[in-house]
Amino acid sequence: MLNKPISRRALLGGAAAGAAGLLFSGCTTERADGKIEVEIVSYKQEAVSIFEQLMEDFNASHDDIYLNIQSPADAVTVMKTRFVRENYPDVIGIGGDGDYANFTDSNILADVSDCPTIEDVQDAYIDILDSVTYVPMEGIYGVPFVANAAGMLYNKDMFAEHGWTIPETWDELIALFKQIQSEEPDVYPIYLGYLDTWTILSPWNSITANMVPSDLNYQVNLGNAKFADYYREPAERMLELLDYAEPGPFAYAYNDACTAFARGQSAMYPCGSFAVPQILSVNPDMNIGMFPMPSAENADDRVVVSGVDLQWCVAETCEHKDAVYEVINFLSQAENVQTYIDDQRAIPCLEGTFELDPLFDDVAPWIEEGRVLDYLDHSYPSAMGCDAQLQTMLLNKDVDAFLTKWDNDWQRYNRSVIRKVQAAAQE
Amino acid sequence: MASTATKVGSGRNKTFMAILIPVLVIFCAFNTFPLITGFLYSFTDSKGYGAFNIVGLQNYMDMFTDTRILNSYLFTFKVAVVATLLTNVISLMLAIGLSSKIRFKSALRGVYFVPRILGGLVVGYVFSYFFTYIVPAITGTESILASSDWAWVAIVVVLVWQACAQTTIIYITGLSSVPEDVYEAGALDGATGWDKFRYITFPLIMPSVTTNMVLVMKDMLMVFDQIVAMTSGGPAQSTESISYLIYNNGLSGGQFGYQCANAVIFFILIAVVSILQTKFLNSKEEQL
Amino acid sequence: MAKEKVKERANWPVTILLIIGLITIIFPLYMAVVIAFKDPTEMTNDIAGILSLPSHWSLDNFIEAIQVTDFFNSFLNSLIITVVAVVASILIHSLAAYAIGRNMDHKKIFKASYYFIIAGMYVPFAILMMPLVKQTAVMHLDNMVGVMILYIVFYMPMNMMLYTGYLRNIPIALEEAARMDGASTWSTYWKVIFPLMKPMHATVAVITGLAVWNDVMTPLVIMGGQGVNTLPLAQMNFQTAFSTNYNLAFASYLLAMLPMIVFYIVAQKQIIGGVTNGAVK
Repeated sequence: MLNKPISRRALLGGAAAGAAGLLFSGCTTERADGKIEVEIVSYKQEAVSIFEQLMEDFNASHDDIYLNIQSPADAVTVMKTRFVRENYPDVIGIGGDGDYANFTDSNILADVSDCPTIEDVQDAYIDILDSVTYVPMEGIYGVPFVANAAGMLYNKDMFAEHGWTIPETWDELIALFKQIQSEEPDVYPIYLGYLDTWTILSPWNSITANMVPSDLNYQVNLGNAKFADYYREPAERMLELLDYAEPGPFAYAYNDACTAFARGQSAMYPCGSFAVPQILSVNPDMNIGMFPMPSAENADDRVVVSGVDLQWCVAETCEHKDAVYEVINFLSQAENVQTYIDDQRAIPCLEGTFELDPLFDDVAPWIEEGRVLDYLDHSYPSAMGCDAQLQTMLLNKDVDAFLTKWDNDWQRYNRSVIRKVQAAAQE
Repeated sequence: MASTATKVGSGRNKTFMAILIPVLVIFCAFNTFPLITGFLYSFTDSKGYGAFNIVGLQNYMDMFTDTRILNSYLFTFKVAVVATLLTNVISLMLAIGLSSKIRFKSALRGVYFVPRILGGLVVGYVFSYFFTYIVPAITGTESILASSDWAWVAIVVVLVWQACAQTTIIYITGLSSVPEDVYEAGALDGATGWDKFRYITFPLIMPSVTTNMVLVMKDMLMVFDQIVAMTSGGPAQSTESISYLIYNNGLSGGQFGYQCANAVIFFILIAVVSILQTKFLNSKEEQL
Repeated sequence: MAKEKVKERANWPVTILLIIGLITIIFPLYMAVVIAFKDPTEMTNDIAGILSLPSHWSLDNFIEAIQVTDFFNSFLNSLIITVVAVVASILIHSLAAYAIGRNMDHKKIFKASYYFIIAGMYVPFAILMMPLVKQTAVMHLDNMVGVMILYIVFYMPMNMMLYTGYLRNIPIALEEAARMDGASTWSTYWKVIFPLMKPMHATVAVITGLAVWNDVMTPLVIMGGQGVNTLPLAQMNFQTAFSTNYNLAFASYLLAMLPMIVFYIVAQKQIIGGVTNGAVK
């Protein structure tokens, strides 16, 4: 046969079309060899080789459970279609994001408070996960595995060469921008890829998380607050950033921004650790660092934005939680976590001493002490197009219109959530 | 004589019905039936999976106060009309050119077909590059992709560029079905050039014109891939097409029920428009 | 000039215009080709950089793309689906169009069926998607067979339009002659009408074939995540949430394009063949 990187595909590839349906039937049932099969569908397609390795290790060391981890392309769509077929995988590996919120809202996920591994998860990440669901829920609906972080990515070598230091307040940040403009006219302080609206959320999250109460969304849903009273300053800072980026950032895509930063056309890039692989693909030797967005009023109050990048959620229908917990326990063992974070430049959500990627050198204290807050957009309704509204604000430079629309749209798109939140609060 | 004709006629009818019925059954099973299911979803707050509530006519009522949906209809129809006309004019010219007695006919036809084959990722990348870097370098202006007034033009350019390949083929096929004796008769009458096209060729390729106007219009109204590849609906939500909203908010955004309502309205609207369009154009056709 | 009388005299002005027009296609194609050969580290943000030739020509990207997509298996699956969908479309849609096209002018049920099927073209796929996922699973069609059936249904409206339009240029007198000789409607169709529609068969094959070949949504939702990939499904591996390997992706797209170009050139001969062989002599 020809090139066969993945044996599973080779096995199925030649099979007659009709057979595919048979191989695919059923949630985890007992296998012919008497083992219980645990099926995981993970959305981290980029980590497929790590998981295949872990899967092999697990199966070699367990004779009662067979572990099957799949990492298909566009896994979230695949998951949704499987839910529609009522063919639930035992475990789904997703981020602590809007999809997770929707899945819990649709009663698809099981409470995993009784999973022993939960004991080892850092409290900060349990809290972060809790903040994602639209309506505060009893119980825990996922076992956090790894996280990512966002702030300001910077070119370490360029900073060292010029003696630029990491700013701790907003004024220092602006001063640094100005210094860069005067010292290096060919280098933009930052580069923005605002054609891709989602990239606008990165600086927005890290600026805003440092400036507004962390339960603002919930308070708005309760009817106790309005966004207009809190989002003006962050919006103005977003506008201020435009003065220090390349002209016309709305024409450039995420990919352009990564390339520009990688090639030294800008000193910084306000984005997250998730962008690093793309940047390094253009410049594999680059030394990238990250510092917290210095937008808190008081330098000591700075927080790093960090969200659950991968967690293990168990389907409500799963009938052998014990086997599933055994798998989760295995995956969460220190050496397996270390293998994963080394390969994927991730931050572990588990207690213990891990060696972090040098990328996180500057934010390590925050991560270790749990001074982290979730990405705000994880609890924005994705249909509301929050990123597009920010883009509109930045293009039209009209903060008032932005604030009004935001509050109005929030009420519209969150109607059912608001109803549930208020009903829960009255109980 | 009369009885034979009736017998033949009824046998013919039976054959036609024997063809029609299975075709309708399979069509209903995989098009009409799921459409009805989707229609029922439009009365719920379903995310497309999992638990949901019935909300009655709420989704339909919400639609009429949703400016985002209204803007998406205006944008989509504007783009569709402009792109359909441009595509058809350019394709007809190309088809006539490619059907005339030119050199390198096969090679030229082959290359003009390439835009249809290039994947969305390639087209998106290349044209984004073209509008972001090359056009501004030539004109000295800002990229139109960053302008909420002009980004739609970029979308039209990509749409027309990609759609011309298929449309041209249909016109070439249409031209090939024009019987040569008709051409020749025209030539004998001294009809040449534009007159020949206007009075002889054009009426005979009217079925292709109908087909192309309707097919291209349909493709343009359903524009989605090019939006994702070029602007993701921006800048400032100025290029959100109807399909973009249906896909994005319905399947990723958890608004499946609401966007089903949108899809139902959209379907009725364009089905009516197109059937009127077909009827009008069909009335201009002739059966040989 | 005696040569002017020769029928096949080349029309040079049109040829030249068409060659000039090729720029609009050669330029994007050129970009795709150079990117497919470049290393990710050669990607830049300036015009000179992107238009430059790769620093060295190697087939590494193509080889890696073949491995990542499990090319030969994915290719085979795509090929099976496409061939079945195309052949079935030609047979079923042309027949259906014949039944409807020849009767719609004077029989209400056929006219209604025509508009009913054409209207199906305007149903946004997004609304059908989730119901179809459920339905195909219940019918045990969440596999390649199901995908093929869906394509036959999805492209029926378009092909119906194409065939009925073309039928208008085929004189009914031809059938009547065959019928007078005692042939049944069924055999008249296959012996007289079907061969006459050869140029349209080629067109339908090209348009349907390409749409099927490039489609990613249908296989994704109907049979995604089962380990059976079509080429476009496998090509999704080049794009993860936060990074896209354009170089590998472009190499892979170029590879996937080649069979379609060959197919088109073959089919195109049939379209031209239709003219010279002359259905309507």
